[in-house]
Amino acid sequence: MVVEKKRTINRLKSMYPLRAKVNETYLKSIEAIQAGKPAVWGMLNFYYGDPILKAMDIEVVYPENYGAIAAAMGVARQYLDRADAEGFPTHLCGYSLTTLGYASRMMKELNGEIPPEAPLGGMPKPLFLMSSAAICDARYKWFQALGRYMDVPVWPLEAPLPGIKEFSIEDYYDEMVKLGVKHLRDFVTFVEDIVGRKMDWDRLDETTGLMIEVNRVWHEVNELRKASPCPMHSRDFWSAMPAALFLAGDLEDSLRLYQDMYKEVKERVHNHVGAIFDEKYRLVFAELPPWHSLAFFDKLADRGWNFVIESVGYHPPIPLDLSRVSDPLERITKFSLQFLVGYYQDALKQNVLGGTTAYPYLKYAREWRCDGALLHPLITCRSASTHLPYVADMLIEKMKVPSLSIEGDIVDLRLFNPEDALAKAEPFEETMEHYKKVRRQEGFDW
Amino acid sequence: MSDKSKGLSKAREIYLNRSQRAKELKAAGQTIIGYPCVYVPLEMLTALDLVPYQTCGDIREPVTEADRALPSSFCPVMRNCLDCALKNKNDFLDGMVTIHSCDPQEKTARVWESYTNYPYFHFIDMPITVRPEALEYFRNQLNDFRKTLETFTGRKLSKDKLESAVKFHNRQRALVRELYELTKPSPPQISGTEIIQVLKALTSLPVVEGNDLLTEVISEVKNRTNGLEEKPARLLIWSSTLDDTDIMQVFEAKANVVMNESCGGIRAYRSKVNFTDDPLEGLADYYLKEITCARTFRQATLGETRKDYARDLQSRFGYLKDIIREWKINGAIMLLVRYCDPFAFEMPSLKDYFDSIGVPSTYIEYDYTIGAMAPIRTRIEAFLETIDQ
Repeated sequence: MVVEKKRTINRLKSMYPLRAKVNETYLKSIEAIQAGKPAVWGMLNFYYGDPILKAMDIEVVYPENYGAIAAAMGVARQYLDRADAEGFPTHLCGYSLTTLGYASRMMKELNGEIPPEAPLGGMPKPLFLMSSAAICDARYKWFQALGRYMDVPVWPLEAPLPGIKEFSIEDYYDEMVKLGVKHLRDFVTFVEDIVGRKMDWDRLDETTGLMIEVNRVWHEVNELRKASPCPMHSRDFWSAMPAALFLAGDLEDSLRLYQDMYKEVKERVHNHVGAIFDEKYRLVFAELPPWHSLAFFDKLADRGWNFVIESVGYHPPIPLDLSRVSDPLERITKFSLQFLVGYYQDALKQNVLGGTTAYPYLKYAREWRCDGALLHPLITCRSASTHLPYVADMLIEKMKVPSLSIEGDIVDLRLFNPEDALAKAEPFEETMEHYKKVRRQEGFDW
Repeated sequence: MSDKSKGLSKAREIYLNRSQRAKELKAAGQTIIGYPCVYVPLEMLTALDLVPYQTCGDIREPVTEADRALPSSFCPVMRNCLDCALKNKNDFLDGMVTIHSCDPQEKTARVWESYTNYPYFHFIDMPITVRPEALEYFRNQLNDFRKTLETFTGRKLSKDKLESAVKFHNRQRALVRELYELTKPSPPQISGTEIIQVLKALTSLPVVEGNDLLTEVISEVKNRTNGLEEKPARLLIWSSTLDDTDIMQVFEAKANVVMNESCGGIRAYRSKVNFTDDPLEGLADYYLKEITCARTFRQATLGETRKDYARDLQSRFGYLKDIIREWKINGAIMLLVRYCDPFAFEMPSLKDYFDSIGVPSTYIEYDYTIGAMAPIRTRIEAFLETIDQ
């Protein structure tokens, strides 16, 4: 008799239709683009630009995501080599180099045709480029550098980034909102000029409302993960997040599917069903996961490691009541700002002045009752890595939560060594046990 | 510093012991405010009788303390700056002003603020574009900076005082431009190494003292009888940061470096602040638009819906053409500080621009350590041979 091995991570049933919808949307988008529908290359913009493009029925492809796909499917190397030969320093963001090499091949060798080796249909020459100042310098300089290969206009989306203390200065928030609203209004005009169509403001209003509601429900799903045992693993989070973060797919469908997920997770909480079968350790993961080696988490689940919360950059903003804001551009701006500043008041109270990137992990560790943090610094993604030593320092100093750092990269997959990482698991479990005692001695409640 | 030293020798003494004057001023009751980046509007500090002091790195100092908070694959200049701060080398500071001029500045600011305990610390956010709404936002950021400075000092920042400070700093900018006029002759009357000593001295002095120093230096250099050696190449160095004489000397061993277009060179001085009804508007305009750091996103036309690469290059690098013509430059070095993303992304396009105007150029990378000197020497010698041909 063949005994079927029980899966260590108990995946959510509701994740599959949501993920299928995301995948289906991606394929439909590729088909539409191949049929001649205009496409824009966009950076993950934390809700500033996406609802506007969605309301104008413009397809968006994300070179950051495509870089990950190209790496996972083994075709990134030729683009990286090409970018190197073109004079881009090799220590630049790996996704950017992949895109630059790809654009060079498409425009210089193939006269604008999609390279035949490009996986998943490739990225067609865009109508324009929508970059973003959020998170890192690379995400707007990279699209500017693409001008070397493509005479397509670029719109760099501003994304204000206040300091923790400065944010409490009178009128500071209003000034950020003013910038955002004016900037987005000009962006709408820019898009209208390029596509030759006017914005349907009612549709933008509806899209914005759905975006906010989708993310509210998604936030509530993640709140349920505070339960013990945690009912949902990070792998389900990563599978489900594109519908909320990139607004992938029809938003009404997404809302329904996230609501289904909420019901399933709530039921698990009620029935004390965990995402792994024997939760010994609860962990927070930061930042970009090793997309190419996600099975690594199954092996950790075998050891009782449950990843209960993760990557702040992928999480929805803490909900904010925007129902009285009538201008959709103001709602978009406030919603986007909330992604950053939603943590600021607490961060100031805790005196964690790296509030944007470090404080959320302290909140996660405390409220999701984490025993440890798994940090994943990436050689060519500095924005997702530079704060990690500081995060580790704050976690141990303020929460007595230890961190394990496993190095990797976003395109050079050889740098991530799962065996080496697993070899560190056992000693780290001893460390987590030790700090569990320390926390109790110091009056923490987990 | 010796009481008798003047001009270039005084600049050299200050360069070698940058913090001494700040410590003297501190002992005399002055308030010293550190800043790590040329984007911080020093006029606002000067107007409140605060002494600005640029916190620099030291290429001879191995980074140890900053490892606690910043990874090794991070801007080595900011790692080094933070390292010096964590080793209490700036313990005479009464405060710090940081700015979101680039990612490493922003990331380091958070850590700096967390791990130090100055009585005053302020972070200025900075937009990436020069669009009207971005300028207005930046003006408001400066207004917020004004508010915290007033609270810290207990004094009001009056329009008169600010305008007076702008005049002093504009005077400094004009004097630095005058200093660079002295590199136009062949051979130049002052070396790139000497200019680094002077400019780095300026960043550790109150503006009036700096202006006096510049006046002395300019007078001394104009009256020099022992001219510099004329070398076969007249070079422009374009970089984020070149502020160390040892590194500059490697370039100057076989060439005259007549223009240092970096934050250790002319970049912060090439233009001037205009007087506006609201002085903060003039400051915002100058700092956001006129400083030609790669961190700012520039376009041929704001919000353009069509793009042309040649026009794009002109809007980003066109200012270099006049410099190259006026200073008779026959070679350009694109000197990249490792892990500096804004400048790294520019390299191929800047090379395209130099090619388009017929200037030979080369790309050299360094890691802001003393160990970089040997590889730079090899690269520069190879480049100079190609110019010779």
